[in-house]
Amino acid sequence: METVIQIHQLTKSFKGVETVSNVNMNVKKGEIYGFLGSNGAGKTTIMKMILNLVKPTSGEIKILNQTISTTSYQYLSKIGSIIEYPEFYDRLTAKENLELHCEYIGVYEKVATEEALRIVGLNGVEHKKIHEFSLGMKQRLGIARAIVAKPEILILDEPINGLDPLGIKDIRELLLHLKEKLGITILISSHIVSEIESIADTIGILHHGELLKEVRMDVIRKENMEYLEIKIDDAKKAIHVLENKLGIRKYEIVNQHCIRIFEHDISQSQINKELILNNIAVNGIEKQQQHLEEYFLNLINGGNQIA
Amino acid sequence: MLKLLRLEWKKNSMSSYFKGLIICIIGIFAAVALMAVGSGDEKMFLDYTDFMSLTNILIRIVFIIFSSVILSRLVIEEYKNKTVQLLFTYPLKRKRIIFAKLSLVFGFCFFSIIIATFMMNIAVYFLNPMMNLFEAPVEILEMVATIPSTFINAFMMAGVSLIPLYFGMRKKSTASTITSAVLIGFLINATVSNGDTSTSLSQFIIVPTIMCLLGLVIGYLSYYKIDKVDLT
Repeated sequence: METVIQIHQLTKSFKGVETVSNVNMNVKKGEIYGFLGSNGAGKTTIMKMILNLVKPTSGEIKILNQTISTTSYQYLSKIGSIIEYPEFYDRLTAKENLELHCEYIGVYEKVATEEALRIVGLNGVEHKKIHEFSLGMKQRLGIARAIVAKPEILILDEPINGLDPLGIKDIRELLLHLKEKLGITILISSHIVSEIESIADTIGILHHGELLKEVRMDVIRKENMEYLEIKIDDAKKAIHVLENKLGIRKYEIVNQHCIRIFEHDISQSQINKELILNNIAVNGIEKQQQHLEEYFLNLINGGNQIA
Repeated sequence: MLKLLRLEWKKNSMSSYFKGLIICIIGIFAAVALMAVGSGDEKMFLDYTDFMSLTNILIRIVFIIFSSVILSRLVIEEYKNKTVQLLFTYPLKRKRIIFAKLSLVFGFCFFSIIIATFMMNIAVYFLNPMMNLFEAPVEILEMVATIPSTFINAFMMAGVSLIPLYFGMRKKSTASTITSAVLIGFLINATVSNGDTSTSLSQFIIVPTIMCLLGLVIGYLSYYKIDKVDLT
């Protein structure tokens, strides 16, 4: 698959303090790339560097196979973005703001603004001035502005901040729609891990300016499947029983006293019963699952024990 | 470039400033005319030149301040409200964006001074016979003779009107932009109207010229390295 955003050894320091250090990342065409990281991890700075608002101290950024220099600007027509808090011209109406945006980008279709407003559910208030808008409405309008010019790449920094649950759901569906129907590549950051989990194809975990991990969601899902953890006195004997009597093939021996079963069609009680019948003492049996959140927390806390 | 100017114009609804422009012109004329008429038999102004020197001072002060209001609206507020960040994510050269904004301020100051002076001359020409603003009658030629100096004057003031940018950008403050404009406006024009004619003439040329160049330099400095600047 084609790589849309390529970042190589990107570093940025402000007054001698490195906020982003040696980040390498690759965003593939048509995927949703989720940025995870605690506050101040450098998510916004990286996004701003992609948009050339902040200039890298060292390293290289390539957008659509074009290397970005300090004076590049043409590539920006292919990117829609929301960075931090969405800012608008307060004295103008929602619609005027979008139209102005279109003119600056250089595309003007009257239908596009109406369509964008409808998509984010702001039709009916398009003639209201921005200073009457709530944060959630501004956030929605920000998304409308980001998509109105039909970009190839969307860069969304905390786009669901300040939205109600219904709004979050709408945006989630919208992003999936944009990805699937229009093939737009989306780079999104959020501190709500579960939201990223539900939409992202790849995630990048940032911590103190370093990209700790870049991993595909399906790999995480595989790594973190639901499993049964059984504590017994003799693992080898137990496996022998489970293989022969219950036909379990997918398992993992953690140590002498602990095994994990990754098969879902065999019930806990069945396993328990079979082990006891074969004179294996069961000290504990527990269903476990790891979410992205734990994965994330494990990583940034320097824990190496993942699932 | 024209497109950028048009968009800035539209974005800031610049047409609404014309009302302000008209009000200012009427206000200035009313003030000077009241002084002239109110001074009674001991005429305050002897002739056209006398009358226009005060009018011109007022025009200059008013429009330097007026331009600073526009400057703060177009440039300072854009930085203050962080909409400049949005502006710089457009596929446009940053230098051209800022250049468009500054030319609009420059152009506004230049043209409003010319328009105001022109209107003032018309008003004087038609109303002097009725209102008896000053003794000596006005000749059309006398008015025409002031045209070159009006243009030079307007150009210089337009340059000066960019100086407040320096003060405003330091803290991205509208208040300091306008305050500095008020101070500069009075400073320059006090110098001009000071002393007898022979000395003030040289000052009239040199001081505003330097200030005008200073304004243009400030305008240039504000954007020559804008491509390298981080917007945080």
